Amino acid sequence: MVVTTQNPEEATGVSITTKQPPRILLAKIGLDGHDRGVKVLARSFRDAGIEVIYTGLWQTCESTVHAALQEDVDVIGVSLLSAAHMTVMPELLRYRNELGIDHIPVVLGGIVPDADHPKLKEMGIASVFNPGSSVDVIVKKICELAATRKTADYDSVQDEYNKGNALALSQLLTGVQRGELPDNWKAPTGKAKIVGVTGAPGVGKSSFIGKLAQILCDQGKQVAVIAIDPSSPITGGALLGDRLRMMSTKADSRFFVRSFSSGGGPGGLAPFAREAIDIVNGFGFDYILVETVGAGQADVGIRELTDLTLLLLMPDSGDAVQFSKAGIMEIAGSFVLNKCDLHGADATEAQLLSAVGTDRPIWKVSTIRDEGLEDVAKWLATQ
Amino acid sequence: MSVKPQNKKSNDVTEQGKPFVDAEDRNGFDPAASLGEPGSFPFTRGPHRTMYRDRLWTMRQFAGFGSADDTNKRFKYLLDHGTTGLSTAFDLPTLMGRDSDDPLALGEVGRCGVAISSLADMRRLFDGIQLDKVSTSMTINAPAAILLAFYVCVGEEQDVSSEKLRGTLQNDILKEFHAQNEYVFPPVPSVGLVVDTIEYCTKHMPLWNTVSISGYHIREAGASAAQELAFTLADGMAYTEASMDRGLDVDDFAPRLSFFFDVHNDFFEEIAKLRAARRIWSRVAKDKFHAKNERSWLLRMHCQTAGVTLTEQQPTNNLIRVAYQALAGVLGGTQSLHTNSMDETLALPSERAAKLALRTQQILAHETEVTQTVDPLGGSYFVEKMTDEIEAKAEVIFAEIDSMGGVIKAIDRGYFRRSIAESAQASQKRIDSGEDKIVGVTDFVEEGTSEVDILQISQNTEDEQIASLKELKSSRDKSRHKQALEKLRDGARDGANLMPAIIEAAKADATVGEMMDTMKSVFGAYDGGPEW
Ligand SMILES: Nc1nc2c(ncn2[C@@H]2O[C@H](COP(=O)(O)OP(=O)(O)OP(=O)(O)O)[C@@H](O)[C@H]2O)c(=O)[nH]1
Ligand SMILES: [Mg+2]
Repeated sequence: MVVTTQNPEEATGVSITTKQPPRILLAKIGLDGHDRGVKVLARSFRDAGIEVIYTGLWQTCESTVHAALQEDVDVIGVSLLSAAHMTVMPELLRYRNELGIDHIPVVLGGIVPDADHPKLKEMGIASVFNPGSSVDVIVKKICELAATRKTADYDSVQDEYNKGNALALSQLLTGVQRGELPDNWKAPTGKAKIVGVTGAPGVGKSSFIGKLAQILCDQGKQVAVIAIDPSSPITGGALLGDRLRMMSTKADSRFFVRSFSSGGGPGGLAPFAREAIDIVNGFGFDYILVETVGAGQADVGIRELTDLTLLLLMPDSGDAVQFSKAGIMEIAGSFVLNKCDLHGADATEAQLLSAVGTDRPIWKVSTIRDEGLEDVAKWLATQ
Repeated sequence: MSVKPQNKKSNDVTEQGKPFVDAEDRNGFDPAASLGEPGSFPFTRGPHRTMYRDRLWTMRQFAGFGSADDTNKRFKYLLDHGTTGLSTAFDLPTLMGRDSDDPLALGEVGRCGVAISSLADMRRLFDGIQLDKVSTSMTINAPAAILLAFYVCVGEEQDVSSEKLRGTLQNDILKEFHAQNEYVFPPVPSVGLVVDTIEYCTKHMPLWNTVSISGYHIREAGASAAQELAFTLADGMAYTEASMDRGLDVDDFAPRLSFFFDVHNDFFEEIAKLRAARRIWSRVAKDKFHAKNERSWLLRMHCQTAGVTLTEQQPTNNLIRVAYQALAGVLGGTQSLHTNSMDETLALPSERAAKLALRTQQILAHETEVTQTVDPLGGSYFVEKMTDEIEAKAEVIFAEIDSMGGVIKAIDRGYFRRSIAESAQASQKRIDSGEDKIVGVTDFVEEGTSEVDILQISQNTEDEQIASLKELKSSRDKSRHKQALEKLRDGARDGANLMPAIIEAAKADATVGEMMDTMKSVFGAYDGGPEW
């Protein structure tokens, strides 16, 4: 796919000619909350046709590197305005190399005195950008770095996958996304319970999945998440924002998250969603939670892929009424009324009851307050 | 409707196609209603009648230094040289309500300000300084109530009662949700905590400025001037409403609210913004909140030049930018001003750069004579038109916020973050397309390295802080400590004013991080809202 931006006035003027959009992980490490730069970049990257996975604020070196491995990104971008770069960057590289992903280049943006540039280069930082660096230059550099990525040798990756290597899992997912996997390869049959989580934008799907996964992991289960976000129809770029709701500062090998853009696929699903789920399943997870874009009338494709689908709603959203007319109510195996800390939860519950009856359970939860999720986890175990 | 000559391709300033504004454009302009006299309603021309003729603005330079001991030395040096106002910058872990030994504090302890994790640290910070003799400004938000409690305790230990304490707490959590990201709890309990401090100060600390409602960080994050103005005043209204809901009389607390604005590059727009701010606030206070006391109508402000406009390239150019911005702040009628140091984009200010920043203000105050006439731009066709227009834009934004159900609901919807991010990206695009020029960056570029020295900070503070915390935790009275935190937790559950419980916990040597965690266990932690 050749991506050129349609409106040269609005675009950064750089066109990307790789087959697949480059993928970059953008992270802010430490407590510094200055995110103007990273947000402007994230949006500019998207507009230039790049897939951006943003981890949000307050990350550690460890959590950042783990995210990079699971997302199998082409580049790791770190934004640091706290002047802690000479402490943080060596630590980050150490973790990266320990995890065996030293092939992923790291770039740094922030307030970095000239004197530190050579030191950072020497320790292995691919590029350093300052607040004055132009977006064009940064985009170009990211694309160059992404273009140096080598296609994996899928035979040996499969061996590693069979041995339980998470990096190999991650690389196979890239393979399926890019259509690079050998035709004759099939993932082994898995045992996972596959649960779809769907609902209108912003009802809290990602936050809910993050907390639910934590509970399941604490019970000793292995949990994978496949999060599918819409991509920009114009440029092929995307801002993948689900992951940031699921980040914790400590990395946990029992918890695997992979973000995909829907690529405009039908039913809010990426075209390769089924294969991706099979690959994750074959790896040996106990649960696979699949987050899908929105939940409009047409978005019922998720039912085909999962054993069970949870429909998330929130108080006062009017969804209950709206959805009762649409197919989406039918596909739900259960309803989760999230954000019950907000006003109007009881009324919405009543509305929902009258729309769908009592055959399927309705869970009242507040993700933000950690309330009600244990019950959902218990119920899932019995399904 | 824009008169802003933003459209550089054309010379037209008005809809009529003229390159200037004149009487024709000012039909219906009523000076008596729109301006009044300086020092009288609606205060467009200034909060005081004589302004800088009688009293210059306060030149407040804010700076931070590693440990409590280092800062204490600096404070004493400043006091010996005639300063009476101390300004405290805290390090990032403290700002985020975390102790120096928190894993996320790595590399950041004492770096951008002083590290305060406990009452013991606060005691060292003010060692040998009589708190009834100074006024202290503390730039702190999420854990503001805790730092205020520490200050009260240090005063008590010196036999200075809280009625005599003078100073300012930034304590503006709403802008953290919009822009600066130094929030901890969700919006509702966060505002509750601000109201706790307002209520406490209203009863016990009448000389204390409770909240410095800040547009600065909103603007620096990318908002337009009109957004900065409107969001800040909307926040001010939200605190006022929340305090009145608590049962406080508006005239008892409103005079102790103050505002903090950015002064950016667009010279006349910035002046118009500051003038409009005073006019809007006085009308809101009088008509919406029915304040009777004239002091409740007055918007007092602090201003700071725009850090975000400074460039790393040709850093001495920043001196000139700061000077023009400072002039705009003064022509806009600010009560206090911070001028940025030219080397800020590179590192913390060096002593030389900090001194030049102060000199910039002194030259403005003592040489240019702009202080001799109150509101010299009052009545200018252009400035008055701009003032009206930015006010009108703010009104549109207020209506938008109202239609969402108020500030907190708008936060829940990601309104502020989305608006700010969109403005930030639009301005980046104007720069990338060449429409907006930056001297030394997009135009008039020079090769070569920067010409300024850079301040280096020692790495020892972190280790020392961690060691002293460890010592504190092992030597304090464990049962008193435990009880105090339990009381704080219960208070949070019951919706009590938390100031007394926080003061108790401070005395029991509970740390900032421990108190924040205790409240978090009840309030929950905020994850940044829908828009990112
Ligand atoms: N009050 C409240 N807010 C919540 C709760 N759960 C999530 N949120 C907030 O809802 C917003 C959206 O949460 P997400 O988890 O990103 O929602 P989503 O459904 O995954 O959103 P998209 O992927 O963009 O469709 C965030 O600001 C969350 O903080 C809850 O239980 N209560
Ligand atoms: Mg999501």
